[in-house]
Amino acid sequence: MSDMVILEARNLVKDFSALRAVNDVSFALNKGETVFIIGPSGSGKSTFLRCLNMLEVPTAGKILFHGKEVNHCSRNINPYRAKVGMVFQHFNLFPHLTVLENITLAPVESGLLTRSQAREEAYGWLKRIGLESKAEAYPMQLSGGQKQRIAIVRACAMHPEVLLFDEPTSALDPEMVGEVQLLMRELADGGMTMAVVTHEIGFATEIADRMVFMDHGQIVVSGTPEELINSDNVRIKEFFDKVI
Amino acid sequence: MRKILQIIFFAFLSFFYVFAADGAGELRMVTAANFPPYEFYSGKEIVGIDADIMREIAARNGLKLIIEDMKFDSIIAAVQSGKGDVAASAITVTPDRRQMVDFTVAYVSARQMIIVPVDSLIKNGKDLKGKRIGVQHGTTGDTYVTENFHDPQRFDDGSMAVAALLRGKLDAVVLDNEPAMVHSAGNPELKMLEEPLTFEEYAFAIAKNREPLLKMLNDSLNEMMQDGTINEIRKKYAEKIEETVAETAAENSGDGGWKSEWHTNFIKNDRWRYLWDGFLVTMQVSVAAVILGVAIGFFVAIIRSTADLNGNWKIADYFCRVYLTVIRGTPVVLQLLIIYFVVFGAVDVSKVLVAIIAFGINSGAYVAEIIRSGIMSIDRGQMEAGRSLGLSYCRTMILIVLPQALKNVLPALGNEFIVLLKETSVCGFIALQDLTKGGDVIRSQTYNAFLPLIVVAMVYLLLVIIFSKLLEKLEKRLKRNE
Repeated sequence: MSDMVILEARNLVKDFSALRAVNDVSFALNKGETVFIIGPSGSGKSTFLRCLNMLEVPTAGKILFHGKEVNHCSRNINPYRAKVGMVFQHFNLFPHLTVLENITLAPVESGLLTRSQAREEAYGWLKRIGLESKAEAYPMQLSGGQKQRIAIVRACAMHPEVLLFDEPTSALDPEMVGEVQLLMRELADGGMTMAVVTHEIGFATEIADRMVFMDHGQIVVSGTPEELINSDNVRIKEFFDKVI
Repeated sequence: MRKILQIIFFAFLSFFYVFAADGAGELRMVTAANFPPYEFYSGKEIVGIDADIMREIAARNGLKLIIEDMKFDSIIAAVQSGKGDVAASAITVTPDRRQMVDFTVAYVSARQMIIVPVDSLIKNGKDLKGKRIGVQHGTTGDTYVTENFHDPQRFDDGSMAVAALLRGKLDAVVLDNEPAMVHSAGNPELKMLEEPLTFEEYAFAIAKNREPLLKMLNDSLNEMMQDGTINEIRKKYAEKIEETVAETAAENSGDGGWKSEWHTNFIKNDRWRYLWDGFLVTMQVSVAAVILGVAIGFFVAIIRSTADLNGNWKIADYFCRVYLTVIRGTPVVLQLLIIYFVVFGAVDVSKVLVAIIAFGINSGAYVAEIIRSGIMSIDRGQMEAGRSLGLSYCRTMILIVLPQALKNVLPALGNEFIVLLKETSVCGFIALQDLTKGGDVIRSQTYNAFLPLIVVAMVYLLLVIIFSKLLEKLEKRLKRNE
């Protein structure tokens, strides 16, 4: 199994002054796997996910990508981040750039693709999600669901090996959630390795290969969706009672 | 710490002094060229009794004369600091001044005269007590009135004092004989009292301990007094003054009116050229200072906001804070003077360059804080999104954060540029002939305070209006993605 592990966290700790947000978490993500991280508000799941991409610098512990340590202070983090895409709760599209420029900026800047290659791929993606007509539009002119799908495409344009989703649907109106989930489902089915922090338990149980329940900065239980739903753990039961 | 700074400062100064050895074969004269007939502009050239005497001295000693124009209250400092060799600017010999500089032999004895409105009750110097008196700042008239009566109102040039007198803001103006004659002749409402307020002697001033230079000047002056050269020069200008007096009197006796005033101030003797040349200098200084200011501003803003956001670059941030505090905490005029007289005190650099550096450094501090506020206004999610795509901090800053920040602060930035444009009007303090100073030069020739001031103000207004319109267009264009 271990040669299938792409991304691994070992004994990860993250402190915010007095608060220990992530407390000694170890976690491995296998190739092609879709893992959903759930848990109550303030359980540290978002912070943990942001640590995986070094948006929060871990206080202690190691992050390994293909077995190589990435949070070593002398290591250039940019090539790693280029391989691990991130989708944010609030989309974070670049408002001064068109949809097409949002998608092509990073691959062209990093030298991954030429301008024409990047445009061609971007149009391919836009066609696939039915937003070809919005290529020259600015983010302000899009709906929330459209913005989040463009943000996912923007991350995919870097040909990442792993995609991290930080509550991708919680800032959306209910009628927009479906279109974003559909795209995520397609990516998962296509073999993308994904880690998703979410509150959408129903969606999680449908497509997760594995689910992780976090509370008080620690992983309480990890297993298949069925295992979690049927777990005897008091804290999990309490959580499911509240959300379902 | 303070001591160390002082040592560094003086080491810095002496560095410039060492490299400021006298240019061989040059005689550098400093003067305040707003004092006809001793020194004034004729076209681009400075002429007058002092200028002609100095030219003759230079010629007799095989030297090349370089004349530099500056404010009268700066010229003593200029020879002391080595900016010039000789101050030749109708300087009266006084005990106070003797403490600071050495004087040559006196070459002229002159009188301080009183100008009053024709219907004034002031008959002589004794009547000045308790009256509102105008003088030219730093002249003997200024010193005499201050010591014998009370603080006078000090103007940068005599024509401003006369203009104030004409408008009833003063009771009397004290000026040297020749300029007083021209002013009173040019204005039928004014008269010059016959009895002089005081006598005085004019001499050239040089820095202390320059014996060879002093001997050379004295020898030449004595020679020229004996062979009649000095009298000839004085006679030449006295005739010119009589002409001017007759001319101005004739102009004023006619119906005058708007058209002739316009003609005198701008058309006659191609005086509009002072405004045009000044306009070019103002534009040169403003545009280059904006570019320098924006460059400095970006640099400082990025260091400051990086320190604010990530806690990095603490030492660079400290220096940026010192820069901001010093520059924003002192008036721009003083910064300009310090850069001219202290930093570049002993080296010969173009005044335009000095002004660009001074205003660029000044504006940079304001631009930096404007841009920093713009950077801080951008959601940190933008930086995170850029970094998560594998872009470096700098690339993300340049490609993603700064374009948005600039759009947000464009109105504030435009405002700063407008302020800068208008602030360059203090260029006159280092005798750089910008637009404002161009108007001053015209005023000193035509003795008209109103028209040149209004026209100069209109040019600034027009520039600001055009700039605001352009900015509005740019803002609209940038708004298209909203």
